[in-house]
Amino acid sequence: MVSKVVKVTNEQGLHMRPATVFSAAVTPFDSDVKILFNGNQYDGKSVMMLMAACIKCGAEIEIQADGPDEEAALAKAVELVESGLGD
Amino acid sequence: MYKGIEASRGIGIGSICLITEHDLSFDSKPVADKEAEKARFNDAIEKFKAETAEMAENIRKNIGPKEAEIMEGHLAMIADPTMAGEMTKMIEAGQCAEAAVTAVCDMFIGMFSKMEDDMMRQRASDISDIKISLLKILLGVEDVDISKVAPGTVLVAHDLTPSMTSQIVKENVVGIITEVGGKTSHSAILARALEIPAVLSIPNICEIVKDKDTAIVDGTEGDVYINPDGDVISQYVIKREEFIRAQAELKNFVGKATLTADGKEVELFCNIGTPKDAKKAIECDGEGIGLFRSEFLFMDKPHLPTEDEQFEAYKEAVETMSGKTVIIRTLDIGGDKEIPYMNLEKEENPFLGYRAVRYCLANTDIYKTQLRGILRASAFGTVKIMVPLVTCVDEIRAVKALVEECKMELTNEGISFDPSIQVGCMIETAAASLIADMLAKEADFFSIGTNDLTQYTMSVDRGNAKVAYLYSAFQPAVLRSIKNIIAAGNAAGIPVGMCGEAAADPLMIPLLISFGLDEYSVNPVLVLTARAIISKWSKADADALAEKVLSLSTEKEIVELLKASAK
Repeated sequence: MVSKVVKVTNEQGLHMRPATVFSAAVTPFDSDVKILFNGNQYDGKSVMMLMAACIKCGAEIEIQADGPDEEAALAKAVELVESGLGD
Repeated sequence: MYKGIEASRGIGIGSICLITEHDLSFDSKPVADKEAEKARFNDAIEKFKAETAEMAENIRKNIGPKEAEIMEGHLAMIADPTMAGEMTKMIEAGQCAEAAVTAVCDMFIGMFSKMEDDMMRQRASDISDIKISLLKILLGVEDVDISKVAPGTVLVAHDLTPSMTSQIVKENVVGIITEVGGKTSHSAILARALEIPAVLSIPNICEIVKDKDTAIVDGTEGDVYINPDGDVISQYVIKREEFIRAQAELKNFVGKATLTADGKEVELFCNIGTPKDAKKAIECDGEGIGLFRSEFLFMDKPHLPTEDEQFEAYKEAVETMSGKTVIIRTLDIGGDKEIPYMNLEKEENPFLGYRAVRYCLANTDIYKTQLRGILRASAFGTVKIMVPLVTCVDEIRAVKALVEECKMELTNEGISFDPSIQVGCMIETAAASLIADMLAKEADFFSIGTNDLTQYTMSVDRGNAKVAYLYSAFQPAVLRSIKNIIAAGNAAGIPVGMCGEAAADPLMIPLLISFGLDEYSVNPVLVLTARAIISKWSKADADALAEKVLSLSTEKEIVELLKASAK
């Protein structure tokens, strides 16, 4: 299992569009991708759970990837969040 | 007359088509053949996806790609493993498809509707829309086909879901009335995009009206009339014509320079309160920012904003305006605006007390942090510094000295900024108005704040209803003051702007043209209206009117004359 803490920088946080971008990008990986925020765990492949996490701009989140392609999955996820998720 | 929320401007008069809520109740008995139930569920999902994709395409074609995202969002949600996936699990556990859809959707609706974030709460209504669509498919309920309503229809529904809105044929629907929803709901956004007048949130309207009733929808005021008499209808027919004409006229001014009738160009800027508003200024065709209030940075937080936080916020606005002028007003706070961590004392007369530039010059550490933030942002566009509540020359000199100090520091630190950044005075006190000629020698520009100028000139607290009648920028004392300020600026060769509400007042504009105002700064939504009014007046016409106005000695006579002369 690999993980990294990143800061969410897009203005409106993880609302629908960024959440859709994120889940669509990590879904093709075989590894499980999870987001840890405020003491809870959210499935990174689920738009609904990502939105339900209510992650705002400026929040620090931990991304965890676990599985055969975990390094690549984590790198992709981190890059996406850091680049503002297409917002 | 029924009062609701004005959600989309304009006036619609037509015949009601009532969209009744369907009975979506079902028997949630356990299912024997789980595989057959799963197949029935999967078919419903496929049908839902196909219908939703078609609606998204319709919206994209008829309204726009941004609005289509709502339906695309529904597709993303249903494709989510926690949606269809959870539903499937429940069916496998023996529930019927309807019960599974209801349980999972209700769980998410409950979760999203509790959130503080407005955008997230909106997701609850998305999921409710998905739930209703899925149940209709599963129960075989047919919808009223909104795309087939007759021309001149006013749609009345409990709530207008995006799926319903996507079927609207703009030419046939003249108005929308609902029982729920606010200005930022999907129905409101789509109604505005379609330019259909809409009034939302009228309780029980579905029980009040019948199909084929006549309705007037005034989406500008939020008023609805059901079966009104002939007089009211003819009154609204005239209003509708006026609205349509005014809208058509305004569209002609998009992307145009702001010119008086005799071709003199003036600047038409916007007043904004947050960096995000800069986008609105651009969308509304503003030519710059004439007043960027910086207080939001200080009021939204539990502590003083850092230099970096301020820099980022100013930079965002400056970059959004891409090269266009952004005038940032430095901190304008005092005993009447509470900022808990600043520990400002309650004062007997907060408007005459320790506030704005007076506070800043006594707390130079706080002020320099702001000036440095502004200077750093000036490297990314055209930024000007505006100082509020100036009453004497010493104040503007002291601010300029601090700006120079900050510039030296930044130079030493190797941080870039605009070395020729302009520093101007807000003219909003009687004192500043009387010494405008002296201030004009020190300041790079003036901006008249008519709200405070009126208050200080008339010595009237506009919040006090007993004396508020004196609060008018059309009082002869205020008009003389405005004229003198503009004349002093013109004589010294510095630009003079106005950022108070008066700058967009159709009655005030001819006077400002006559006095020689260089820049009008208005609420973004008023840009086109102001540009249209300015275009109607030549200097000669404005001068003739101003001469008469200045000879009148009461506010009442002045307003009457201006109203009679309005173009």
